[in-house]
Amino acid sequence: MVVPERVSERRLSIPNNAITGILFAIPGYFAGVWLGTLFGLNDDQNTGVILGYIFATVAFLAGVGFLNYPFERLFGWRVSPLTDPDENRGVGRFFRLSLDHKVIGLQYLVTILIMLLFGGIGAMMIRTSLLVPDSSITPSGNYISLIGLHSVMMIFITSAVIVGPFGNYLVPLMIGARRMAFPRLEALSFWVVPPAAVILAAATFWGGFPTGWTGYPPLSEQASQAMDSYIVGFALIAVALVTSAINMLATIIGLRAPGMTWTRLPMFVWGIFTTSILGLLAAPVLAAALFMLTLDRTTQTSFFLASNGGSNYLWENLFWFFGHPEVYIFILPAFGIIMEIVPHFARKPLWGYRTGVVGLFGVMLLSFFVWQHHLFVSGIAPVLRPFYMLSTELISIPTGIIFLVTLGTLWRARVWFTVPMLFCMGFLFNFLIGGVSGVYLSDVPTDVTLHGSYFSMAHFHYTIMGGEIFALMAAAYYWLPKMTGKMLSPTIGRIHFWWMFIAFNSTFFPLFIVGLLNMPRRVSSYDPALVGLNRWVTISAYFLFGSMVLFAANLIYSWFFVARPALANPWHARSLEWQVPTPVPARNFERVPLVVAGPYDYGIPNARPVADLGGVVGATGGG
Amino acid sequence: MAVRTRAYEADAAAVAALDTRLVGIGTWLALAADIFFFAAWWFAFFYLRALNNNQAWKAQGVAPPSRGYGAVVVVLALATAVAYFVGSRPAAGAFLFRLLTPVALVFGLATCLFQGYELWHLGFGLTEGGYPSVFAGLSTAWVIQFGLATAWLASIVTQAGPAGDTVARRQPASFFAWILLFLAAIGIVNYILLYLVA
Amino acid sequence: MGVFRIEEADRPHLLRLLIIWVVLSIVGILAALQIHYPPYDQSVQGLDQSRTLALLTVLATPVFIGVVIMVLYSAIYFRRTTTELVDGPPMLGNTPVQIAWIAISAVLVLFLAVFGIVTLASSNVAQAVGTPGRSIGQSGGQTGSGTIGGTGPELQVQVVAQQWYFTYRYADYGGVETTHLYLPVDRPVELHVTSLDIIHSFWAYQLGVKADANPGVDNIFHVTAQKTGSFQVRCAELCGLWHGHMADSEGQVVSQSEFDTWIAQQQKDYEVISKAVPSYAPFYFPEPLLKAG
Ligand SMILES: [Cu+2]
Ligand SMILES: [Cu+2]
Repeated sequence: MVVPERVSERRLSIPNNAITGILFAIPGYFAGVWLGTLFGLNDDQNTGVILGYIFATVAFLAGVGFLNYPFERLFGWRVSPLTDPDENRGVGRFFRLSLDHKVIGLQYLVTILIMLLFGGIGAMMIRTSLLVPDSSITPSGNYISLIGLHSVMMIFITSAVIVGPFGNYLVPLMIGARRMAFPRLEALSFWVVPPAAVILAAATFWGGFPTGWTGYPPLSEQASQAMDSYIVGFALIAVALVTSAINMLATIIGLRAPGMTWTRLPMFVWGIFTTSILGLLAAPVLAAALFMLTLDRTTQTSFFLASNGGSNYLWENLFWFFGHPEVYIFILPAFGIIMEIVPHFARKPLWGYRTGVVGLFGVMLLSFFVWQHHLFVSGIAPVLRPFYMLSTELISIPTGIIFLVTLGTLWRARVWFTVPMLFCMGFLFNFLIGGVSGVYLSDVPTDVTLHGSYFSMAHFHYTIMGGEIFALMAAAYYWLPKMTGKMLSPTIGRIHFWWMFIAFNSTFFPLFIVGLLNMPRRVSSYDPALVGLNRWVTISAYFLFGSMVLFAANLIYSWFFVARPALANPWHARSLEWQVPTPVPARNFERVPLVVAGPYDYGIPNARPVADLGGVVGATGGG
Repeated sequence: MAVRTRAYEADAAAVAALDTRLVGIGTWLALAADIFFFAAWWFAFFYLRALNNNQAWKAQGVAPPSRGYGAVVVVLALATAVAYFVGSRPAAGAFLFRLLTPVALVFGLATCLFQGYELWHLGFGLTEGGYPSVFAGLSTAWVIQFGLATAWLASIVTQAGPAGDTVARRQPASFFAWILLFLAAIGIVNYILLYLVA
Repeated sequence: MGVFRIEEADRPHLLRLLIIWVVLSIVGILAALQIHYPPYDQSVQGLDQSRTLALLTVLATPVFIGVVIMVLYSAIYFRRTTTELVDGPPMLGNTPVQIAWIAISAVLVLFLAVFGIVTLASSNVAQAVGTPGRSIGQSGGQTGSGTIGGTGPELQVQVVAQQWYFTYRYADYGGVETTHLYLPVDRPVELHVTSLDIIHSFWAYQLGVKADANPGVDNIFHVTAQKTGSFQVRCAELCGLWHGHMADSEGQVVSQSEFDTWIAQQQKDYEVISKAVPSYAPFYFPEPLLKAG
């Protein structure tokens, strides 16, 4: 191909890394504030603060190097090629814009674990405050700020905690690809997360926002500039969800290795696939709603103000149209993890592969039709309640399929009781409780008494923490030997599991009772009769936090202090990601593998190995 | 499949074909996401209009901006998309491509300017009800996206060399035409809602 | 049945599981029936909710126990006993079992949904969750017009929420505004819940009432108290700084005669104030809210 002569050889050459990003972000923030104050229609600073956050984020991304490509294009320069992964070595690569999905996976892992620490500390402060039934430990205002920070931080984390580290790292390995479809989008889906977390944390400087993660107006329109943190932070997470979804779906559709047919796709990949569809279609609705809220707060429009022709129901509908799929964005990858890991340790084929995939798709589809179950008592369209009650309860059927497939796989198996397997079983128990309690909330008459109480709080902590986080732990113990190159200590792992499992149930099960006994969510003062139960929960929560510290210790110890590298395939698993060496070579597969068998064909006589790694002559596999 | 098994990695043509396929998939996915984004605004439009809370969907004296002016914006957007679409078809020659992309860019810039001018001179206050809110919000959201697309269009123009370009003449360039057509179509729907249905 | 061919190897496991499941389920259901479910029986609607909770628990118990014993059973009986890895039998699935599982869960779910819809539609609970009876606004409380006050059998009470307390207006008594909620026993009450500022949620725990208070919305909720005594009122939707303190434990269900005395007293006490408050309406629009203060 002839390079046209007009195209110059010039490139943008700034040292692009996270530090440049931060150096850019600070003046970016002040530029935004200045501009907002200049043009803001209000004498409050909201326009300035919002523009400041946006400018700071864009400047940060520019410093990291995201604008090089568009600017090079725009100026008619020759555009940089995708970074060659071979050049990408050393610790520095974690602080630069790397287009290697393995680096992005690890960047995500560490970032999210740090965020998790802050979210967890928030939870401990909340529980500490609830040691007493009045607001004497934490004043009421600080308490609701804590609630807001903890909830939104955790929502950020749980949106990405599986797809980010494990999805990015493993999906190409599992489908036999050498890269992702859109590495720049993939990197973007990571690099907006640290700004989102920092912007969210900045809410504390404005005194915190009072709305929790639901951000209901008009309260969110009364709120101080801290609310702007919620808006911009959440919008960045929406960007992360959409970009990651486009990248994952295009990768899974377009970059599967030859022979990796849809019926040979590992269940984890199916989990990522379905969750990506949800993120793709739900997050834009959140983005639109956040934009409306921004306009209301800065230019005095009235999308959500009844007295000026708006309606707070508009927000509730849009938010929950996103919000319900969002909770399945959390759990579908977890379903994928469970159905992925169990066959490898049961040493049996996945029992009912197609049914399991249908289950995932059933959950995915139905979750778009249930959002008003959050609004049963809101007064919105009472005539529609039977429909939403029915659709919500219908989700039990595909969810039940996930249990069926897992239990069927365990049936007459030769279960190898590793730590990941323990966490899978813990998941089954916790998510069962979470799911069953969900039925209580889906029934309109009982929802009247349970809505907005600790019962619903206990319910979603059972599904998210007991479900998603337990699956995350299973994934961590299972796949980190591949990702970090070190085995996590199984002994500590076992202690960790039992500690976490007991502490978790001891923390959250009593909260169902607390909710039934008249305690609303998000209150710092409660009925003194409930002080005993609340103290029990708080003490248990401290233990739960301790179990997470143990996990962190295990992770750090194994990663940085254990010298012995992990085996390439410590679990003797069949699936493709275990067939590559550890550490994974820069381009994953020396040659594009030819997949010739399913990943779960254990015990099948004469089963072929999953792939011919000698490669396919004539396959590109993403170059 | 055919694409993926045709050549080994070193074959640049195969890699390019694969990239084209990926860009195609990605484009359709992005458009699907964007439909949901705009659907949220359309929902807001019909919802607030039906509720008419406090009789303030349109406060006293609020009237939609000039239909003729709005039509100009939509026609310009459509012209942008059609000009680029025609020029970027694989069948179109290098001459047509070099002729029509700058034309499309001019139309695109004009669209943004006209829409921006209208937003600055609305004739009603933003506090005056649901309709002004939706009008301002939806038009702004649309013109931001159209503006970003125009910037991308500009980069295609600057990348296009005298020989007719190496980057833009590939398939991905014609996928971009679908994005422009999509945004123009959204513009038409918005026009019908905001000016005709109101 | 020919479809469900039970393999020889499965038989002892299935038999054992069945026995454990039946025994534990019976025990579990009996235990579940012992529980005294909130919100108890101070109102007709509360009693319905309490019964629905009991029903759900009774239905959930065998499901829960079934899955848990399956998991535990696999953990105990299907664990690997040898030191080296052995593969299990290559079972790829069993269509009749899958269909049966899906069918059973579908039947359970449909039963629950139909039961819920029937309860919802039946007069008591239909009222409890707000289908309009004699309403002053449209149901679901959008804007609307209608008769205010009136002489129906239902007592019409408006719940007005604002940061951070509830007040109550009795439409049938000249719209008098009170600071506590008194309800006569055994008389159907139509609550009209609205807000002056932001979203609150009116939760009268013992009465089994929860209804969001939205600005510009008349959210209707029916309740019939059947026992005298006090009840607690709390706000159940995060509403800002003092949300946690937006509570009142002095709600009272009293006899009709006590109620008449009380309301007469209120009318007298608040006569002056009543002239100042806006006249009774489905909802109110105070001066525009301060945005983003
Ligand atoms: Cu939901
Ligand atoms: Cu309140």
